[in-house]
Amino acid sequence: MSTVSLSSATLLRAFRPASNAGCRGRVRNHVPRLRRTYYSIYHPEPAPYAETQDRILSAAIKRVPEHGFSEEALVRGAKDAGYLEVSVQLFPRGVFDLVNYHMVTQRLALKDKVHFSEGTTLGLGAKVKALALARLRANADIIHQWQGALGYMSLLENIPASLGELNALSDEIWYLAGDTAVDFSWYTKRGSLAAVYASTETFMTTDNSKDFTATAEFLDRRLKDAQGVGGTVGGLTQYMGFWAGNSVNLARSFGMKI
Amino acid sequence: MLRSLVWRPLALRHCKGATKTAQKAFTTSTLRPQQLPGEDEQTTHFGFSTVPAAQKEAKVGAVFSSVASSYDTMNDLMSLGIHRLWKDYFVRSLNPGSRNSEKGWNILDVAGGTGDIAFGMLDHATNVNLDLKTKVTIADINPDMLAEGRRRALETPYGNSKRLSFMQANAESMPSIESNSLDLYTVAFGIRNFTNKDAAIREAFRVLKPGGVFACLEFSHVDSALFNAVYKRWSFGAIPLIGQLVTGDRDSYQYLVESIERFPTQEEFKAMIEDAGFVTPGAGYENLTGGIASIHRGIKPI
Repeated sequence: MSTVSLSSATLLRAFRPASNAGCRGRVRNHVPRLRRTYYSIYHPEPAPYAETQDRILSAAIKRVPEHGFSEEALVRGAKDAGYLEVSVQLFPRGVFDLVNYHMVTQRLALKDKVHFSEGTTLGLGAKVKALALARLRANADIIHQWQGALGYMSLLENIPASLGELNALSDEIWYLAGDTAVDFSWYTKRGSLAAVYASTETFMTTDNSKDFTATAEFLDRRLKDAQGVGGTVGGLTQYMGFWAGNSVNLARSFGMKI
Repeated sequence: MLRSLVWRPLALRHCKGATKTAQKAFTTSTLRPQQLPGEDEQTTHFGFSTVPAAQKEAKVGAVFSSVASSYDTMNDLMSLGIHRLWKDYFVRSLNPGSRNSEKGWNILDVAGGTGDIAFGMLDHATNVNLDLKTKVTIADINPDMLAEGRRRALETPYGNSKRLSFMQANAESMPSIESNSLDLYTVAFGIRNFTNKDAAIREAFRVLKPGGVFACLEFSHVDSALFNAVYKRWSFGAIPLIGQLVTGDRDSYQYLVESIERFPTQEEFKAMIEDAGFVTPGAGYENLTGGIASIHRGIKPI
């Protein structure tokens, strides 16, 4: 029994569905590559952006604190990277490509930012909280411009990509926290963390406290809420199951053929 | 086992490129051979007929000389008038003109005889980006089309200004234009008629500055089979007939619809642009009105 569960856990850690970013990279680069529908730690994913795009976007991100997520930042980034104003034609989605670049690169950077030592006694919840907080802190430099980015993300044509990226982040955090559950909670965990993260990020755009302590507290409360709801639902299910079984037994003791 | 069953469709749905390729494998037919039987290096296609490469230029020249004055009528017929929207969108998406640099853009509009695109870009630069320095050069191989463009330019504010100039040139070789000198190279509804498209794209690569953009608006191939059937009926049945009735010149219009049919598909043309050394953004092309026309872009890497 233990070997079975162990192997399934190892499998889950080793293979994950390939996220959006990997696909986009394949499309953009247009170099024929081996296609996998899962993520494997043994085969590193290709870079999500082709070299030319990456150079312009990484230069443009440096311009964001000053100019916001805007055409202006993109154009200045292109110039900083030695390209021309017209080179922003490289980004068919315009400013949203810049927003998406920030989200994808920060998500992928998460695994290098947070390390849990082998013998750590932290629970799953504490790990998730640490990871979510680390991802939020990656927004620190541009948080005063993030409302503009949220505006672009809420445009109809960008909503699917934005939600996909939120889902990918939620998945990344649970994966890095070492969650190996394969039951239905796989979905509820990702769903609830995505909701918590999105609301905390929105809160963070109006957070003036020093070192974002208010955001950290907000995140803590939201995670506790989510856990509380999860715990209540779980307890309620157990309680109902117990009484259902009891009722059946009671009915049988009266001679009903159930 | 369960994992692979569950995840394959999900992952595919996220991944636009993969689905497209998968669909293509089922829908692409060999309907459009790029080389007809009996066609070799020295010959090329002129509509559906095979002609010696040396003659294509003259034949295309004859077509456009004969339609120069009724060029807009022709485009309206071929695209049901939508070409005006496409050209508007093409110009707007390129966003020509610079808000805050001393030098404007240096733009070359190839096969732009009648000047639609050139005037549109100058208007956009002036009115949207408040840029009075961006320059456009209109190049066309056909003196009749250029004369039409010069005549129309006089009706715009750019008629006698230094921002607009004309030159007669073959897009496959433009020695009068320095290498690495242009910000933007556009060709709208022209490249289909070039004898050697690869040479023209290579020449575009040469004259563009590193980082410069090659942008091409052209009739292309409809992606839906049902719509395609209707569209083909229209283009092969009605357009030559209307051409004959309106301008009394059936052959020129027959050539135009045939040349659209012979033009490479979106994927093939994208590959040609990449072969010349350009980087293509996103999917590499953008379909307009279900693929009746498409915009291809390429950026010259540094």
